[in-house]
Amino acid sequence: MITFLAKRTATLVAAVLLSSFAVFLIPYVTPGDPVRKIIRSRVAGDVVDEATVQALAESLGLNDPLPVQYLRWLGDFFTGDMGLSHISRTPVIDQVLPALGITLSLVLVALGTAVLVSLPLGIVAALKQGSKTDKLITTVTQSFIAMPEYWLAPLLVLVFALKLSWLPSAGWNTASSIVLPAATLSLRPISFFTSAVRSGMIDALEAEHIPAARARGLSHVQTVLRHVVPNGLVPLSTLFAVWFAGLLGGSVIVEVIFAIPGMGRLLYDAVVNSDIPLAQGGVVVVVALAVAITTLADFLHRMLSPKVSGALA
Amino acid sequence: MRKLSRSTAALGVAALLSLTGCGLSGGQTGATGKVADTNQRIVVDNFRAPVANWALESDAAYILSLSGCLETLTKYDSAQGKVVPFLATEWKQVSPLEWDFTIREGVKFQDGTDLTAETVAASLNSVLKAKVPARAFSPGIVSGVQATDAKTVRVTTPVENPLVPFRLASVNTGILAPAAYTGATVNPFGHCTGPFTPVSEKAKQSLTLDRNENYWGGKVQLAGAEVRFITNGATRAAQVQTGEADISLSIPASALSTLESAPEVSVLKADSPRTATLYMNNGRAPFNNVDFRKALRSALDLEALAASVYEGAALPAAGPFAPSEPWASSEAKTPKQNLDEAKKLLADAGYTADRPLEIIAIVERTEFADVATVIQDNLKDIGVPVTIQAKEYASAEPDVLAGNYDMILSQRNRLIDIADPIGFLTADYTCKGTYNLSHFCNEEYDALITEAARTSTTEERYKLYGKAGRLLNDQAVNLWLVNEQATDAVRSNVLSYVQDPLSRYVLTAQTAKAGS
Repeated sequence: MITFLAKRTATLVAAVLLSSFAVFLIPYVTPGDPVRKIIRSRVAGDVVDEATVQALAESLGLNDPLPVQYLRWLGDFFTGDMGLSHISRTPVIDQVLPALGITLSLVLVALGTAVLVSLPLGIVAALKQGSKTDKLITTVTQSFIAMPEYWLAPLLVLVFALKLSWLPSAGWNTASSIVLPAATLSLRPISFFTSAVRSGMIDALEAEHIPAARARGLSHVQTVLRHVVPNGLVPLSTLFAVWFAGLLGGSVIVEVIFAIPGMGRLLYDAVVNSDIPLAQGGVVVVVALAVAITTLADFLHRMLSPKVSGALA
Repeated sequence: MRKLSRSTAALGVAALLSLTGCGLSGGQTGATGKVADTNQRIVVDNFRAPVANWALESDAAYILSLSGCLETLTKYDSAQGKVVPFLATEWKQVSPLEWDFTIREGVKFQDGTDLTAETVAASLNSVLKAKVPARAFSPGIVSGVQATDAKTVRVTTPVENPLVPFRLASVNTGILAPAAYTGATVNPFGHCTGPFTPVSEKAKQSLTLDRNENYWGGKVQLAGAEVRFITNGATRAAQVQTGEADISLSIPASALSTLESAPEVSVLKADSPRTATLYMNNGRAPFNNVDFRKALRSALDLEALAASVYEGAALPAAGPFAPSEPWASSEAKTPKQNLDEAKKLLADAGYTADRPLEIIAIVERTEFADVATVIQDNLKDIGVPVTIQAKEYASAEPDVLAGNYDMILSQRNRLIDIADPIGFLTADYTCKGTYNLSHFCNEEYDALITEAARTSTTEERYKLYGKAGRLLNDQAVNLWLVNEQATDAVRSNVLSYVQDPLSRYVLTAQTAKAGS
């Protein structure tokens, strides 16, 4: 277990450093002058004189060699300082934490909804394998995969905000604000989660210990609850963690359409505007959190599955 | 969550759109028979969010200005087409390099301190010291600002500059109380002079404002406002339709037809100083031949382009200026498609299609993909093969500025600095222009612009701009495609709303809302 923890910690540090370096390089390897991008984001203008560009580059330390810039950031980071945003000149951490809080709430509600919906659907589909009910559940949930957020979000706004006036069309002000964006984000996970629960349950139903359990006198319901459902949950825990990690920084479209100031939007804006400290700080937090979540999922997986537990030990 | 009040649809008389012929002018909501309720608050959906922590030299100044917080010494009145008093009551040029502005008496900042010449000078000097200076008010244009007595501020320029009063109408020169500058960053909260006081901000979401009970400009009709930062155009359109927002700025063309048929919503359109343009690289073949450029112009069907891609939300262009601009030539006509003439001009130019020409369509303007396709089709008809490349503007800019391109679709705000096109005409078309994408260079044109920059009489200066515009048109320097329109959507219970094509002034003391 100690070896496992040490490996995971090393993975986390390596992932954070690699991703921060990759993000640091983006403004330099993509066409266009990073300093002009910074200026344009402040004044939305096309005319920028060279003297201004040079003065800003100098004041932000952008004329230093790239390794120097990166190592400077790294040094500050290890002393707990993520630096100042190039655009707003405010501490990166002050922008990242509120955005992270918003995205965490959104993702938790979206994936929580997906679990609540997909669990019963997956269980029913597995128990009625091959039946019309199974086919209906499988077909409907699989069709969710083909519904991209940029199509689904306006559709939900059209129905629930414009036509029915039940929910706000955008914003992050009241509890009801979360409903449409969470629904948009939950649909595709529902598809994957339902499929995973169904497969896990079917595998469990066909396992050797199920007839043995029945032979011990357990009823069908008892057998399913004690020996099948827990095994059906194993793949769900891993999937949940993967989706959670992915949505932390990957909910840009939903955040733009619903005007939510979360991590996806923050990271997108930071990269587009060459706000390197903000992009680095945001990515470090997201990657660290994502690695931590997947590690947690591995532990959960181990607890739920004796086979994996053995392998880890 | 406010529900649509369909029962009051009968009262939803559409607001009037009035476009005057004098300068760029916005529409105004007209008399609806509704009575203002001074307890009402209003919600405005704005298309941009502040990114630079309210630094006045940044575009955040536009948000503070449209919110009714930030005020300037002078103000450009679109309807009158001239600069009018605001925080300064009068001004005069006291020497070739000096302008004196008389500060309005009796004005207090929202923190209770007095507006004085000293505070005005301090505020303007803080903008001058910015690392990324405002285009309208930078050390290259203004060499100093100082208070010469208790109510006079002197602005000094390095060279004679008749446009100083225009520059002091730029929102970037807004005046804040000294307390706004005591921290590491500018703090506008409670430090403006306008009819609305910012009281709280939700980062990247909204700014909440309350009525300034002591506003120098008279009684404020609204109890307060919320300005939301909604960058997605479709979302802004949806919010004004549901009633979540009372005013939505900059409605995209794709949402216009829906909003125009929505009950209790009025769509206001005004000519804007933006023209979608196909920039041509005049510095290299075949675009260095004026006959070739004119041939391309004759090949385009601008009316069809405006009607199809822009769904009527833009008007076919007649040259570098919109017809409503006071310096535009009244004789300018939209060029008609004439394929025979185009083919003759091509022959005169000696053009042979030895390689396809490339149009860069910047992805930031989604409609440009379709515009490029229409142009490609038009040019195919006269035997000019064209390929299209979609690029982000930032990635295209280095090559375009260096002259390594054929054509690029873009648009420019001609009044981005001040309510006068001198900055645009200088930067974009003079031989040494800092943003001369067309790589156009003409001595006669440069002489006209030099003379205009020195001309203090507005009428004379506008005549020179007109001449410059005609020269650009005669030379077919670029293909000016459509004049874009500023499009706002307003709910019918909003009273006294005057549309500003540049979205500098949205909430004023007069803006009101009828009770629900």
